[in-house]
Amino acid sequence: MKRLGFLFGLLFGFLLAAGRLNDYTAIHDMLLLRSSYFYLLMAATVFVGMAGLQLLARVHWITPLGGPFTPSRARVERRHVLGGAIFGLGWAVAGTCPGAVLAMVGVGNLMGLFVVAGLFVGLMLQGWVSERPTARQAVAAHAGLARA
Amino acid sequence: MLGAVMIEAFPSQLPWYVIGPAIGLLVIGLFAIANKPLGASGAYMQVLFFWQHRAGTEVWRCCYYVGIIAGAALVGVLRPGSSVGLQYGLLGQALPLPLLALVLFTAGIAMGYGARWAGGCTSGHGLCGTSQLSPASFAVTITFFAVAVGVTLVLHALTGGLL
Repeated sequence: MKRLGFLFGLLFGFLLAAGRLNDYTAIHDMLLLRSSYFYLLMAATVFVGMAGLQLLARVHWITPLGGPFTPSRARVERRHVLGGAIFGLGWAVAGTCPGAVLAMVGVGNLMGLFVVAGLFVGLMLQGWVSERPTARQAVAAHAGLARA
Repeated sequence: MLGAVMIEAFPSQLPWYVIGPAIGLLVIGLFAIANKPLGASGAYMQVLFFWQHRAGTEVWRCCYYVGIIAGAALVGVLRPGSSVGLQYGLLGQALPLPLLALVLFTAGIAMGYGARWAGGCTSGHGLCGTSQLSPASFAVTITFFAVAVGVTLVLHALTGGLL
């Protein structure tokens, strides 16, 4: 599994860099709506992915390492929109995303390491915030008591 | 001579109709073999857990994480004109280095926070979730694209076309 993970990473990183997803200017041009390249790329990925996963689901594919293939479909919640919006803000400024920035570092643009460091902090921060519902509940309970 | 061959063999950007479907095949491949999404922010989480020595860490995702860097490094070596440095396109020209570092770090925090809250990023939701026809993934993807394009266009206007 470790070797498989490395192999998939290797291929993914190679393809990201070969498509210049590591390049701030290329991503920036996409977000300025000056270039259709990444929109077409992503559409092609999703088109192929969708067709393949439909097929796997249709034949009730049993994966060698992870049991029966089960596509996961989640309902839309508030956090999807809010989280997506905060993500989009960072994406617009940095002109890179969590996968692409690893490709950026890989090809030698070392400023990407600041984005990587920020990503780790942001991921930890959100975990810390979301693991504190007890504090929020305590405040709510307190407020309830005060009202009573 | 070898350089000329490499320029022939490795263009600065392969066409979208090669890269796009090839990544699609990777998405299918990882689901078909291991029933797992090809998500990047999930891999950051596992690297974090690995570092914290947390039980149940998916070490293969850490290997995947390192693999992405290695795969891109291969392109860096093959592609003529690549160099190791601190360049950052227009943003790098617009900002002094310490400020650039701070801006990039802050943008990283926003992406990390948003990705964990939303349960994935451009790869996990944008590629894998949409491929599974998950409504939540379409919502996340549409939202981050709309916000990113909007913010970029506003920044472009505010900076007088500098960015």
